[in-house]
Amino acid sequence: MKLMKTRKLFTSSLIALAFASITSVANAESLAIINATVHTVTEQGVLTNATVIIDDGKITAINPVVVSADKIIDANGRILTPGLIGTMNQLGLVEVNAVSKSRDASEKKADITFDTSLAYNPRSTVIAYTRKGGITSNIVTPFGGEDMFRGQTFVVDLSGSFDSVLANQSAVVVDFGAKSKGSRATALQKFIHKLEDAQLKLTKNKEKEANKKSQKKEKDKSKDNDKKEPKRDEKVINELLAGTKPLIAYADRATDLLALIKIKERFKLNLIIVGAGDAIVVKEQLAKAKIPVIINAMSNLPSSFDTLHASLDNAARLTAAGIKVILSVDDAHNLYQLRFSAGNAVANGLSKEDALASITANVADVFGLDVGRIAVGKNADLVLWSADPFELSSHVDKMWIAGQEHSTKSRHDALRKRYMTESKMPKAYVK
Amino acid sequence: MSKRIPSLLPISVLAVTISLALSGCLQKEVQDKKITINKNPYPSTYIPVPQQDLLIKNATVLTGTGERLDNADVLVKNGKIVQVGTSLSTENVTVIDATGKWITPGIIDVHSHLGVYPSPSVESHQDGNEMTSPVTANVWVEHSVWPQDPGFQTARAGGITTLQILPGSGNLIGGRGVTLRNVPSVSVQGMKFPDAPYGMKMACGENPKRVYGSRKELPSTRMGNMAGYRAAWVDATEYKAAWEKYEANYAQGKNPAAPKRDLALDTLKSVLDGETLIHNHCYKADEMTQMIDLGKEFNYHSGTFHHGIEAYKIADKLAENGNCAAMWPDWWGFKMEAYDMIHENVAIVDAVKNSCAVVHSDSGTTIQRLNQEAGKIMYRANENGFSLKEEDAIKWITFNAAKSLGIDDQTGSLTSGKKADIVVWNKNPFSVYAHAEQVFVDGGKVYDKFDESYQAKSDFLLGQPTTTSAEQN
Repeated sequence: MKLMKTRKLFTSSLIALAFASITSVANAESLAIINATVHTVTEQGVLTNATVIIDDGKITAINPVVVSADKIIDANGRILTPGLIGTMNQLGLVEVNAVSKSRDASEKKADITFDTSLAYNPRSTVIAYTRKGGITSNIVTPFGGEDMFRGQTFVVDLSGSFDSVLANQSAVVVDFGAKSKGSRATALQKFIHKLEDAQLKLTKNKEKEANKKSQKKEKDKSKDNDKKEPKRDEKVINELLAGTKPLIAYADRATDLLALIKIKERFKLNLIIVGAGDAIVVKEQLAKAKIPVIINAMSNLPSSFDTLHASLDNAARLTAAGIKVILSVDDAHNLYQLRFSAGNAVANGLSKEDALASITANVADVFGLDVGRIAVGKNADLVLWSADPFELSSHVDKMWIAGQEHSTKSRHDALRKRYMTESKMPKAYVK
Repeated sequence: MSKRIPSLLPISVLAVTISLALSGCLQKEVQDKKITINKNPYPSTYIPVPQQDLLIKNATVLTGTGERLDNADVLVKNGKIVQVGTSLSTENVTVIDATGKWITPGIIDVHSHLGVYPSPSVESHQDGNEMTSPVTANVWVEHSVWPQDPGFQTARAGGITTLQILPGSGNLIGGRGVTLRNVPSVSVQGMKFPDAPYGMKMACGENPKRVYGSRKELPSTRMGNMAGYRAAWVDATEYKAAWEKYEANYAQGKNPAAPKRDLALDTLKSVLDGETLIHNHCYKADEMTQMIDLGKEFNYHSGTFHHGIEAYKIADKLAENGNCAAMWPDWWGFKMEAYDMIHENVAIVDAVKNSCAVVHSDSGTTIQRLNQEAGKIMYRANENGFSLKEEDAIKWITFNAAKSLGIDDQTGSLTSGKKADIVVWNKNPFSVYAHAEQVFVDGGKVYDKFDESYQAKSDFLLGQPTTTSAEQN
């Protein structure tokens, strides 16, 4: 994972001012949120009447003996959660799906190196809108093109600032499973071959290194080319083999999931499975292999022969089996609904604690993010809710990204206001 | 040259022809059998599942007519609502204690493609969009509906008792829709809502012009769209006149030749005759306004606008003209014409007197939770100056939907004499945690969350290798 930015509050807030998304400018101020019902998503569980201190973008104290801060916000018992985290969508890579020039997530010739962070648009109206859902960070995921590899994900915060890309090339995304042309076997086979070839090359290189050491004094013969740098795509495969870069694999049918478990174990990959329609059929194997799954909680239709086991209670049952579950909304414009997905998972058997973890801490763990929990030292991505965050009736009262308060206002509010304002002049004059 | 000869026929010949015709009339011509078009050649064979006489007691009842009754009872006999009120009692009925539960009319979705884009979504199941010509008023979506779509069962578990299946929006005029009872059947006829009027699908905007524009055919622009509808209505107007002339002449004892039958024009004519209702995929305020005028130009009512993302911009006009608008709570951004979404759209349309605001799904997923879709709108609107209550919001997915489909005299509210289409919810249906526990269509129980014998299963899913209950534990 390449780090792009280490949450320098000062610079980010100056730039973000331009979007008027920041309501509180004095970023040097420390903040105390008092009388909150704090869902820590840690072993501490839920703390009532609790105080959380934020300073310099971090959570610096929880329930300190003495509350000392530049600004105090009384939560009056309202719920404070970590900011929610989106995954597997194209937020910031698309403004309008059917407007080709507003789309940057696809590329016919995309390969394993495809890095769409270069195209990320923090000024997309979809981002401000998504903040309404209490989302503070997101794993942006490319669609890719013809290749089995879709490219690589990147991590953003939802501040809307120009430096909101926190890390690029954070994980490789690959497609397995049903194919409308050809066989599903091909992708699996190609992938195994790639890993085998890379592994063989690494072993050979090691041997050569060893040989060189033993033949140190012998004159180097003509084959100086051995030291050739690996190609860019080879480097990525090597990172997968080293376990330093996660592999996110789209797959649904039980056979594909089992094949991936084998690949993970053989090549020691850091594997995450997305879709996972049949996960319930092989849940023991997935749990044993410690493979997290990213699922859509609302999928319950047998949309293909690969997903005959789609069910609203899958999130609950997979969690009960000991699998780390991440709930995902894969459509950027609907990402704001992530909390409702979690609510529906609760309505279908998942505990509220597990549901919250599935859109906060679990994502942070799987993608190595320093958010997703309310704990001392974590980045201060926090949301104060009017009521139960999963309920249709609640809304975001306040939200902070890296300690900075952000508004949930978007273009949609401006349109509503215009058309709800009485005016003798045409509405175009109402601004 | 030779082609001109007939026009040079002497006038006397014409005069002879006319006098013959006149004398024939006076002499009472021998009439051929009158040609009539069977308007219902695929009639409903629906029969309710075994009905129960019911007294559902002590619930919070949302009637669908804007009322809320607490600790109320609903009495059902012979498949009809008999009475809604407090402390009802009667004999020989099944009593359901619904203390703490909520009761609403059966939920109605005016926009579904279940059965025509069914699960599994495989090549051979793409039956919803006859995109071979921009005007396919000749197709009837009921001829595509696969009644084994497992989506009908999941929709029923969400309280859907009635739904309109529509053709897709690739064409200017996509064909006839059909209104169904959400009951399992092996034929679509077994699901058809008896005596529901037909609907006809039209589509504005980006879809038709994209589909045909990419083939270098009309329409490739929005003005091309309008020209396409107008040409179709010109033909339909002539066709209607031809049939009326035929019928009038026949009534006068003449023996006229019937116009040549045309399936597409039959459907368009039935709109002009006020028998078939318009269901128009149309997002934008400017285009809806055009479609209202188009209806006036050709003397039909422009009906219900579906996906009316910008309906809030013309809420007054819609109410004034008697149009329903069927909307989503929050879908947006997938096309340019879906860019101006606001969460309060439905509430703004609803706030105008004589309005008809409807919440629809257009989705096999959200059709399962139209209650939540309506809930999102109610709560967002209330955060922005409205004071809507549950008894208001339920109308968007019951009574107003029934009105849009022309079946509000039969269903859509818990009113004495109407069909006993009822949902019993475990709690306030506008909660994310709400479940439909029992669903009744015509007083017959079609779903019970806690009783597998009332959970239908599609043939498609029957016998598929599945996790067994042993594996699940």
